[in-house]
Amino acid sequence: MLPLEHLHLKHVLQTVGVLEAVILRSFGPEGGQVLFTRDTGQAMLSRSGTRILRALHLEHPLARMVVECVWKHSTVTGDGSKTFILLLASLLRMIHTTASKEPHVSHSYNSLEAAEATTARHLADKLLAFALKELDDLIAMEVAPYGCSVSWEDFTAKTQSAAHTNNHYVQKLLASFFHTRLGYVHCDFVSELTCELLNRWKFTNGLPSFALQFLNDNFPALHTPVSGFPISSSRLIEGQVIHRDFATPCPQTDHQPIKAVVVTEDLQPKLLHTGDVLEVGFGVTEERSIVHFSAWTERSLECVIANLKSLGVSVVLSAVKQSAAVLALATQAEMCFVECVSEDELSVFAQLSGARPTSDCWRIEPEHIATLTFCRPILLGAHRYVHMTFYDSEERVMAKPCSLIICGPGEGQTDQYACAIRDAILMLLTTWEPMRASTTTASKRTLQSPKCTSSFTDNLTDSTKYPSFNLHPLHKCVLQPGCMIPAGGTFEFLLNHALQQHRRSCSDSNDANIGVPVSQLLANALLSVPQQIYSHSPRRFLHTRTRVMSFVSNRFDLVYKQEHKASHMQSEGPLEDGIVSLHCCKKDDMPSKVIMLDLGLESVSCKYQLLLAVLQCVKSLLRLDTVLHTQTALHKQSQRLVGTSWESTEDEAEE
Amino acid sequence: MMSRLVKKSPSLCTDLPLDTTDICNKLNLLRQLLRSCFGPTARLKQVHNNIGGHVVTTSSSSVLLPAISSSQPFINLIKTSILNHVSRFSDFGLFAAIFCLALIEQTKQSGLRGNVAIRVNKHLLALCSSYLQGEDCGCKVKLDFCSSHNLITLARSIISSKPACVLTEPETLHISKLTVQAFLLTVPCSSPGTVSLGKVVTVTVEGYSVLNSAVFPGLLVDMPDGLCLNKVNYLSNPLQMVLFSSSLAGDLSELGDGMIEVHPSVDTESQILDQLLELGKQVVADEVKLFVCQKVVHPVLQQYLRSHGIIVVERVGITVMEPLIQLTGAHPVATLHAKIPPKAYGKVQGLSMRQFGSKTMLHLQPLGESAICTMVLCHRNETMLSELKVVCQKTEHVLRLTLREPSALFGGGCTETHLAAYVRHKNKNEVPETASVLGCSQTEYLLGVEVFCRSLESVARALQHDGGYSLIDLTHAHHWTLPADVMEEHMEDSFGLCGCGLVESSPSKKWTYIDTKYAEFSPAPLVKDCPIQPRVLDSFIAKLSALQVATETANLALDVRYIIQDVS
Repeated sequence: MLPLEHLHLKHVLQTVGVLEAVILRSFGPEGGQVLFTRDTGQAMLSRSGTRILRALHLEHPLARMVVECVWKHSTVTGDGSKTFILLLASLLRMIHTTASKEPHVSHSYNSLEAAEATTARHLADKLLAFALKELDDLIAMEVAPYGCSVSWEDFTAKTQSAAHTNNHYVQKLLASFFHTRLGYVHCDFVSELTCELLNRWKFTNGLPSFALQFLNDNFPALHTPVSGFPISSSRLIEGQVIHRDFATPCPQTDHQPIKAVVVTEDLQPKLLHTGDVLEVGFGVTEERSIVHFSAWTERSLECVIANLKSLGVSVVLSAVKQSAAVLALATQAEMCFVECVSEDELSVFAQLSGARPTSDCWRIEPEHIATLTFCRPILLGAHRYVHMTFYDSEERVMAKPCSLIICGPGEGQTDQYACAIRDAILMLLTTWEPMRASTTTASKRTLQSPKCTSSFTDNLTDSTKYPSFNLHPLHKCVLQPGCMIPAGGTFEFLLNHALQQHRRSCSDSNDANIGVPVSQLLANALLSVPQQIYSHSPRRFLHTRTRVMSFVSNRFDLVYKQEHKASHMQSEGPLEDGIVSLHCCKKDDMPSKVIMLDLGLESVSCKYQLLLAVLQCVKSLLRLDTVLHTQTALHKQSQRLVGTSWESTEDEAEE
Repeated sequence: MMSRLVKKSPSLCTDLPLDTTDICNKLNLLRQLLRSCFGPTARLKQVHNNIGGHVVTTSSSSVLLPAISSSQPFINLIKTSILNHVSRFSDFGLFAAIFCLALIEQTKQSGLRGNVAIRVNKHLLALCSSYLQGEDCGCKVKLDFCSSHNLITLARSIISSKPACVLTEPETLHISKLTVQAFLLTVPCSSPGTVSLGKVVTVTVEGYSVLNSAVFPGLLVDMPDGLCLNKVNYLSNPLQMVLFSSSLAGDLSELGDGMIEVHPSVDTESQILDQLLELGKQVVADEVKLFVCQKVVHPVLQQYLRSHGIIVVERVGITVMEPLIQLTGAHPVATLHAKIPPKAYGKVQGLSMRQFGSKTMLHLQPLGESAICTMVLCHRNETMLSELKVVCQKTEHVLRLTLREPSALFGGGCTETHLAAYVRHKNKNEVPETASVLGCSQTEYLLGVEVFCRSLESVARALQHDGGYSLIDLTHAHHWTLPADVMEEHMEDSFGLCGCGLVESSPSKKWTYIDTKYAEFSPAPLVKDCPIQPRVLDSFIAKLSALQVATETANLALDVRYIIQDVS
């Protein structure tokens, strides 16, 4: 008989509660670092929710499922893993209270628990359905207008003055992000560094997210961790760093440009391939002696080197290790070799230089030759690497390629900074990603509420009613890409307010039985986030909430926006007038707006995706009712696994 | 390879590690241990492992810290930070460790909230860094490369702070002069543009007096067997030499992965040997006098070359290859069949024999100026010699760092006390503003300043091991020490000079014990161009970085709220 474990809501709650307790140690302004060790004994530091949860090596399948959900969410958005757990715990608690208060009456269950579970499941389904249907519009209409929206073009078009430019907003956004991930002390420094990195990686053509996507894809090749230095030594350097040393003495020549070639094979021709048989000394002795063959390979190698030399090539990057003869001949030809360059780095090199790697050194075309302005050794910490910059050319896609050097006292720290910067790039990608517009909802809405259309314009202008629900019939309200909102719980306060308004308007229109408990439940759960942020001083919680709410009642912008009305008009066309007027109404009272910036900024679309992910997780958690513990004969498997790599065994162990 | 599948066990968790007594005790123990190793009068530590390896006697952090292993990741976090600093800057590992641990401990004792302490520490670190880097810094001297005096002082301060070398006063001076000499030899004089520094190759000779240690321009390699240099022509004219990087033992070069079938009638070995001798003929024809190979040379080829009056040096190893290339200008050869191009040959000015005790070495003298030199270190026994070698290499590295920033800080604890006095004075008038910027109360800020300054002063005090007293003078804020047996009334007479040797005791001076509270004052700068030279100097770059790394590490440690240990 298999051991059975029935899952009740309170078990789920308990498990998530434990995770929440761990996460809370590094959440909010008073949170700190979590030190964890790898199985190698190496000490690592993190404030990233995902890394902390994964370091726990949890055993319970339920907990693993939660960790899996968090991990999936954060690999997409790079942000919100700690809030995920908080929201999840809070939602489950709300569901639990609601379900235990009003057990389902229409059916008869053999136990109270079963009834509770059904109600909870029902609530979770309704919550997700509600969120999928209404949430994007609610956020776009009721939350986003209080923030600011920075278009990618505005950001990359480098502005001069630092204060109140778009760049400033992005830096604020990054600073808030790094505050949650690295702590207060280094957040400003790292955000400035990241901003500078983004600014340097401007692509002259291509989509806005192209640069971010490129950075994200090639991040391992574009940064160098250096331990033993204070973090303030971190910097950007022009060009690319190849994380290998020269295999031959590097030339001291200053003449430009330097020509470089990427090879993927050994330059020394392989006489014999696997399976070939060479017969020696069969016929005429002199012609077929082994010395003859080895002389032949050497001579052909000399020709290859001479060919490269005649093309003016002085740097060769090789994906594989070359033989001693190759290196010696190259040294004599004053050519320098870099061996065993990783595939990632070669791919970045190919993209930046525009030159294609070659496997056949006999046929080298101009398209294989890259032009560099310099190529020299660079000493970073304990290692000597190769540092090169690329020749400016018209065809090249980006203006200033650069590499990031991340310094820290130890490997644990440099690793933490690198992860945080990479996640920041993901977060920005999500921020500027256009919302997946569900046109079906828009058309459905048109059918649902035709009576509201007439009052649409009135509602927008007099702004005291609840305009969110009354949408323009022909237009789908889309969240702006690059929309940001003050951090510190503002999003939660605003959405809480919006959800409550929504509930009221729903009950007005006699739709009570659908949305009533659900939107209220979500609204209440949301408040747990700011409650934890201000857990050390409840007074500040109330203070901030009052401040945010006062803006809502006055319809002020929470962030002072400079005049980029025009760009909105252009990009969105005349139909968007309604939104633009919302954006720009009452732009006076500047001092109070600037104050809100002290909270930092966060991305609205990250928040939206986080909410959806949490609700999906709640739904899948509550669907479970039993865990079956099966017994697998581990030793039988392991016999099969002998001969496979350690990684795969580890994976098996984690399943 | 794991033959058995092991299930990952759940991790071990510790909540709020700095509140647990176990970790606090371990931190305290580590601090006591490292503190006792600090400075010229340090207590030595013997490290020996449980399987009977040889015993190492040391007081330097780079040897000691790797030997300390802890199951506690918290300790390892601090340890790796310090070790990383030492591997980059070679000096002030113990300074960084003691300061970091003191900062953690004092913060904990003060009851300051972690976040506040971190902010205050960061602020004060920035204050110290900008003061030290500024022009008006009162505890810094500019290094003058026209005179080697300050460089020797700097080298001597480092060497004398490592008592495990067991050097007498004249020996310390001798070694200090040698390291400075070696360092200066590695700086090329006449090369425009980017300067690339040479290399010091260290050779150790056991059982010989320290005073016999010497530095030679060029390279010293082990003398080949059965060779005696008696021919005059080796000593003067530039000699042609060749350098091989591949093995000349007669093995086959790489032909591929396939199989080779050799007919029984064919003698492959002799064919290859013929090829090797072919190479030998060319070398003889090209009038090569020195034949160097990284790997093994076939005995027959060796015999052939020797019979033609060529000196053969084999198995020099990969580490000597780069200095050899730099010294001789030769291109290493790895081909057997091609003719050696004329460009590949290198040159040496001359060859001579050097005798150190039982060791005879061949000295390759550079043709013209070369940035390669060899340092021969002698000492009475192996333990002291290995420590001396480490110390000399570190000293050379620290001297190199002065090229980046030609400054040095006052040693002997004076920089620490001076900095503490500066921080106290600087904060006198700015408490309300700074506190509000940092988002803490004024009391908290003042407490943070006190913690930081006390931790700095505790490093100066750590130089004292014999129960003596540490004091600070109230004019320049330099560090003074008093032996334990001095009476209160004779105090003034017992002071000679301060820790760094720049300030003399005078009746008008006032002192206070380092632990006591004193009214803050602005530390007076020393008179410019004063005739007294400092006796103890610290490397500027290394100490500044140590200060930064220590504060950053302490801040990290204070920020850790939770530990998850992988125990599988």
